[in-house]
Amino acid sequence: MLSAQDMREAEAHGRSVKAVYVYEAPVRLWHWVNALAITVLAISGWFIASPLPSQPGEASENFLMGYIRFAHFSAGYVLLIGLLGRIYWAFVGNHHARQLFVLPIFNATWWKEVLFELRWYLFLERDPKKYVGHNPLAQLSMFTLFLTTTVFMIVTGFALYGEGTQEGSWAHTLFTSWVIPLFGQSQDVHTWHHVGLWVFLLFVLLHVYAALREDIMSRQSLVSTMLSGWRMFKDDKP
Amino acid sequence: MVETFYEVMRRQGITRRSFLKYCSLTAASLGLGPAFVPKIAHAMETKPRTPVLWLHGLECTCCSESFIRSGHPLAKDAVLSMISLDYDDTIMTAAGHQAEAILEEVMTKYKGNYILAVEGNPPLNQEGMSCIIGGKPFLEQLKHVAKDCKAIISWGSCASWGCVQAAKPNPTQATPVHKVIHDKPIIKVPGCPPIAEVMTGVITYMLTFDRLPELDRQGRPKMFYGQRIHDKCYRRPHFDAGQFAEAWDDEGSRKGYCLYKMGCKGPTTYNACSTVRWNGGVSFPIQSGHGCIGCSEDGFWDKGSFYDRVTDIQQFGVEANADQIGGATLGVVGAAVAAHAAVSAIKQSRSKQSDVNDKQG
Amino acid sequence: MGAYETQGFKLDNSGKRIVVDPVTRIEGHMRVEVNLDTNNVIRNAVSTGTMWRGLEVILKGRDPRDAWAFTERICGVCTGTHALTSVRAVEDALGILIPENANSIRNIMQLTLQVHDHLVHFYHLHALDWVDVVSALSADPKKTSELAQSISSWPLSSPGYFRDIQNRLKKFVESGQLGPFMNGYWGNPAYKLPPEANLMAVTHYLEALDFQKEIVKIHTIYGGKNPHPNWLVGGVPCAINVHETGAVGAINMERLNLISHIIDRTIEFIDQVYIPDLLAIASFYKDWTYGGGLASKSVMSYGDIPDKANDYSAANLMMPRGAIINGDLSKVHEVDLRDPSQIQEFVDHSWFKYAGANDAAGKGLHPWDGETVAHYELGKNAKGTSTNIEQIDEGGKYSWIKAPRWKGHAMEVGPLARYIIGYVQNNPEFKEPVDRVLKKLDLPLPALFSTLGRTAARGLEASWAVHKMRYFQDKLVANIKAGDASTANIEKWDPSTWPKEAKGVGFTEAPRGALGHWIKIKEGRIDNYQCVVPTTWNGSPRDSKGQIGAFEASLMNTPMAKADQPLEILRTLHSFDPCLACSTHVMAPDGQEMTRVRVR
Repeated sequence: MLSAQDMREAEAHGRSVKAVYVYEAPVRLWHWVNALAITVLAISGWFIASPLPSQPGEASENFLMGYIRFAHFSAGYVLLIGLLGRIYWAFVGNHHARQLFVLPIFNATWWKEVLFELRWYLFLERDPKKYVGHNPLAQLSMFTLFLTTTVFMIVTGFALYGEGTQEGSWAHTLFTSWVIPLFGQSQDVHTWHHVGLWVFLLFVLLHVYAALREDIMSRQSLVSTMLSGWRMFKDDKP
Repeated sequence: MVETFYEVMRRQGITRRSFLKYCSLTAASLGLGPAFVPKIAHAMETKPRTPVLWLHGLECTCCSESFIRSGHPLAKDAVLSMISLDYDDTIMTAAGHQAEAILEEVMTKYKGNYILAVEGNPPLNQEGMSCIIGGKPFLEQLKHVAKDCKAIISWGSCASWGCVQAAKPNPTQATPVHKVIHDKPIIKVPGCPPIAEVMTGVITYMLTFDRLPELDRQGRPKMFYGQRIHDKCYRRPHFDAGQFAEAWDDEGSRKGYCLYKMGCKGPTTYNACSTVRWNGGVSFPIQSGHGCIGCSEDGFWDKGSFYDRVTDIQQFGVEANADQIGGATLGVVGAAVAAHAAVSAIKQSRSKQSDVNDKQG
Repeated sequence: MGAYETQGFKLDNSGKRIVVDPVTRIEGHMRVEVNLDTNNVIRNAVSTGTMWRGLEVILKGRDPRDAWAFTERICGVCTGTHALTSVRAVEDALGILIPENANSIRNIMQLTLQVHDHLVHFYHLHALDWVDVVSALSADPKKTSELAQSISSWPLSSPGYFRDIQNRLKKFVESGQLGPFMNGYWGNPAYKLPPEANLMAVTHYLEALDFQKEIVKIHTIYGGKNPHPNWLVGGVPCAINVHETGAVGAINMERLNLISHIIDRTIEFIDQVYIPDLLAIASFYKDWTYGGGLASKSVMSYGDIPDKANDYSAANLMMPRGAIINGDLSKVHEVDLRDPSQIQEFVDHSWFKYAGANDAAGKGLHPWDGETVAHYELGKNAKGTSTNIEQIDEGGKYSWIKAPRWKGHAMEVGPLARYIIGYVQNNPEFKEPVDRVLKKLDLPLPALFSTLGRTAARGLEASWAVHKMRYFQDKLVANIKAGDASTANIEKWDPSTWPKEAKGVGFTEAPRGALGHWIKIKEGRIDNYQCVVPTTWNGSPRDSKGQIGAFEASLMNTPMAKADQPLEILRTLHSFDPCLACSTHVMAPDGQEMTRVRVR
């Protein structure tokens, strides 16, 4: 089912409702850069917590841990700058660009649709609905699992990064100076940052599964939409 | 006939010229004009040694033991010439009523001008009577002496954070000083124990510069607790290179590789061990082959084994680390997803079948 | 309890009551109350441990490999001895055998503690009971120098040296800020030393303060720091590498040389300063024969310092092992720490209670089955309130220390106990020095059973220990030379290699006496942990039969020169080197009712 605004938008563009331009180029670019950054962060982060077997030779000839940490910090910067750019785009981009950041929690219809999607996933609804942007359940999980986790990882991650860059660095001033005292000590920040990794993995699992499943079972395109930007609908039913 | 600060400095080989220069620096650092230099010099030349009242709560006396290990200044010189250690029940001659009388005398005579040093912490359970001084709870003595002090030094992790007796389940409800005294500046000098030269360093800083050291947000002097052990560890190149000891007494241990994989808490511990080192700079835990256990950090007892890299999360009510919890969660959700996918596939094929049936029908 | 007789002492609490709280120059917090008769002689003594932290419950559910770090924090004065006892208990439970090098290094560290602890105790905790600082001001530096040179070849002994120290002391005293010497019992007639001996002793007080920090550097090299060096289940954490590249990151030739150098210097200091001072001071107090207490009746030692690794039988232990009871010096009983009927702890007069069926008068529990529930209450004849005690009632519960008994006997432990047992076993390393000292001071054997005997045994032991350090350091180097550089056995490091349930006991001879840790391990975690420490034995309160502990017994029948100055009480208590944080670590399970102090 298309929302009234989606319908208007589609009609205004003079196109058939079979295809709607949803994800603008910056959003798509961000999505894939972000996916790559998180992959790098997860792998490098894993090896920071559980390093590879010890390297032979002189210390001066090796820099493995250094490179792994460098990759982690670089990807961390990409994640941070990407999120900032994405927030900017939420203001200047189309209304789909805002969906990630704003939950219409005071909208009863939205909650009804969340419930509907839950029922759909529990095989209690025979036919799925149509959505131009995220379906409400997806939106909810995007916000809780992805966005808040990303913010948490950026805050804790740069707080830990600031420990190394020392007092006076921007990361220390902006994050380390209050995050460490908030948690009580650095060890706990490490631990919870590591928990964040698992939340991310959980999100990736659900996200990829849901995207593939809906691509097959729902009435609109998903995977290709994040490549081309166009939401294709498989039927003309409302 | 009081041996003043000036006399102490002279005796330690500091010239009058250097002394006056020091006075002018002090004046400048306090934002005072050159006119104040003679006044400061006069004060230094005549003022008596600062009285220190050193109280002991629930503790193990490792802080006092550490303090007397100080090599520069020698503990002897600190006690005889720099401060006036008027009450410290580990070394003082007097006992009982004679000891208690000293507290009252100093508190009256030096009201607002004495330093309260606290080793250990007060318990709140058992009516506070799991630490009794003079027939009363230690908490009473602590509050009484804190009332008129100039500042409080919380020696060690007991006074600063709670330390071992406050480890879960903290049966005596041992409580760090800053949670029972709220109206005095508190300098935390954590560690179990703190390094001797850090202890005397903090005290002499206060006497030399006549001000409290700059503290971080958690109340520790930045000059000694501003960086992690990891930041200045001599084994850091092996960390960056990815060279680790993997087991006790293995090749990596014998070559002095990084102890990160053995659970070393150097990367999360703020202290001066890797720079000042211990007992006159002879060594420090990592140099002697054992990882840092993080003894100057809040709650270091309750983060899981000292030999774990990824440590435990107490908040989940069970002792499990992030990898165990995350792995289990991911396993459960993964299995659920697989099951869901299977059901979806069946449903999808049925629905196609019914579509076909619809069309045929 | 009124007047009664126990262990050969006639207790009578009817006389004037003296309270000393806090007892200072000890580790931790302690209170003592005595009754004096009309001649100012102590006729009743009550010692109270006044702190309690509860490490045993804190240990429950933790990784046994971490236990050493927790128990080490029981005491920062006898630092390391609890850690050693703990790793031994875990190794005993899991059947872990340690390499020879680890045994040598552990022994060196334990002996380092003995030497350091005894030295600091003698000069900084105990000396001021015998030495009058103020009297030193009137000494003649020249005569002091003569005195010093007559008893020792220690080079720092010129008249100028003593004059400088005296001047500094004068300046200090005249400043009016007496610091730790404030309100001392200066001028008390119980001080017997001439001014010159006082000046010499005060000088060495300062020298020993400088020197003690050198001894512990051995802990720093092998264990990374002191106080609280690091230990390891299965060996020692420091690796040895003397031949190859990377040796600078391990125990190498330079480190071994540093240890050797410190041992040599320590031998000099102990034999040329500590022992001569001890004998000189003792010679002025020969007629002060009080403070024997239980020493002539019941003493015990577990033994320590295994020559070969992993063999804890009496034959392999260099420190004596055994128990003497009822003053019968002809028989040394074998002590078995695993026998549930031998070592038991009682709580009739302690601020604890046993749960359920064990909550009965006169019930003792072996440490493996030990339990403790805090139960703070004053006896009905106590004066004051529960948070403002004016006078303890020894008829009720009165201490945070439990009452341990060996086969029902209250025992004294410590250096004197070790020397008595070594003496009657005819162990020449212990018998000959005692005979030499007695001969030199022209005293009979019973003089050993006294405050002074305890203090002398401690000094002799410091000398014994520092020479044994040399022995083990040489043994370590010889073993490395023979090609063995191993320092840790990691076969059973991983908890998955452990049995589902195990129990073990570890013991040492701490500077203050026999120390044991009992552990039960279940599924890789600590199920029960109990420590019975030297000051629990010595500072024990009464038991249900009214038997008094070693502290209490030692104060009996001592005359006081001035009733309001507890100099003699301190003197005798200090001779045990009390360690209250050790003795009162025992703990309650969570969940019991506890009243709390309101924080304002």
